[in-house]
Amino acid sequence: MKPDVSVYFRELVRALREDFAPKLPTAFEQGAALRLAMLSQAASEEFDRAAARRLEENEAMRRLFERASSIVKTPDLLTRLQTVGCLREDSIHVSALDRVNQTLRDLLIELHAHVETLAGDDARALEADIWFEFSASTARRALSIGRF
Amino acid sequence: MGRLEEALASYLTRHFGHAVRVESLDRIPVGASRETYRFVMRADREAELTARRMILRLDPPTSLIETDRRTEYAAIRAFHGSDVPVPELLLIEEDPEALGASFIVMQEIVGGEAAPYRLIEPPYRANLETTGQHKWSILGSIAKTDPAACGLDRVLPPVAAEDCWRQELQRWETMLDADELEPQPIQRAAIRWMKRNPPPPAQRISVVHGDYRTGNLLVSDTGAVIGVLDWEMAHLGDPLEDLAWSINRVWCFRKDERRGGMLPKDEAIAIWEKSSGLAVDADALRWWELLACLKGQAIWISATKEYQTGATHDPLMALAGWMQVNSQDRATLELMGRLSHGIST
Repeated sequence: MKPDVSVYFRELVRALREDFAPKLPTAFEQGAALRLAMLSQAASEEFDRAAARRLEENEAMRRLFERASSIVKTPDLLTRLQTVGCLREDSIHVSALDRVNQTLRDLLIELHAHVETLAGDDARALEADIWFEFSASTARRALSIGRF
Repeated sequence: MGRLEEALASYLTRHFGHAVRVESLDRIPVGASRETYRFVMRADREAELTARRMILRLDPPTSLIETDRRTEYAAIRAFHGSDVPVPELLLIEEDPEALGASFIVMQEIVGGEAAPYRLIEPPYRANLETTGQHKWSILGSIAKTDPAACGLDRVLPPVAAEDCWRQELQRWETMLDADELEPQPIQRAAIRWMKRNPPPPAQRISVVHGDYRTGNLLVSDTGAVIGVLDWEMAHLGDPLEDLAWSINRVWCFRKDERRGGMLPKDEAIAIWEKSSGLAVDADALRWWELLACLKGQAIWISATKEYQTGATHDPLMALAGWMQVNSQDRATLELMGRLSHGIST
């Protein structure tokens, strides 16, 4: 599809900032146009990576669940780690990836809370890896409009 | 003349008992919890003709934060005339009959800039250290104000020193529970940590502004803070809550270590300590900084929900989700010593 979506967004951001915002009659309307430009910039960044970052994150969580299977002793949680860990994306549409992502993240919250209660080096190592994945997830999701 | 101008003029004429004209009504891009308008109020009364620049704060259909206009009115009135600069209030109207929503009218503080993206540019940029001195000194003044002496103990709900943390944690966790559109594993981990490691009781019960950040200050071109705005989240509590919110990472407008775009964290804290007369316990402040992250995240997520569900079309609400949520999570990780800087972004 040409022109590239990234080219379209770049032009949209430029037009909102340079052509439209300065001509709007009030500071409030100008501010709204500049915010739309920021959102368009973010949408451009997300468009290219949307499927990739979701697939990467889902896979990272599945690896954590697999590792946890040797540490978690609670039968119910263990069963769900194995069941959800086998959950695969049936499509690479972003909405489908998001559905799997939400299921995995819900279980990751539960796993993290459980691991915090376990003693031993294995539990601490898994906990550290969960924190590392949290940090990695924020790196994957970072946008240039973010302040930190 | 627009419909809102006409309705406001009609209301003010009835309120004052003489003809009042409203001119140049213009919505301004400040305040996320109220619609804010600037206008000129002209009163024709016998030989006296007066023109005053005023501000109208109107309750919106949706906002970042559900707040109480009476709280804002009482807090501004309590600090008027003190060393905490606030606008002069004219009136509060809680009956939505006149303008379709409740509202407050107050004097405009002329010559001030609040937009952070303008404050980090000339002519304000050169004076940002001075502004930072004012900013945290004024926050110290708020912290040392006796709520009983300024009458706010009769307006704001009381809280025991040992309950401040629990009250705020419960408030923002409840909002997160109600409004999250997707799982929040980082905030859930922070909540568990905060419950396991509560801070000590507040050193004193103070008036907490509740949203003390650069965007709620009016700054002159010489760098002086000439107005503290948006008091609708004011409450009684631990003064560290305000300090922590003011140094939140998401307010680093220059994308560096300067908090509020003005001063390094340690300098901001030192100014606050000197002004408030209170000593900062580093561990207690860290707890309150984490609470500030949760509070921020609850607010951004709530705004995101408003946009997602179509309750608002304001792009500010969408920006809360795209610009703030991830930064707030990273700030949380940093405070917990879990932010891995080796991961490229």
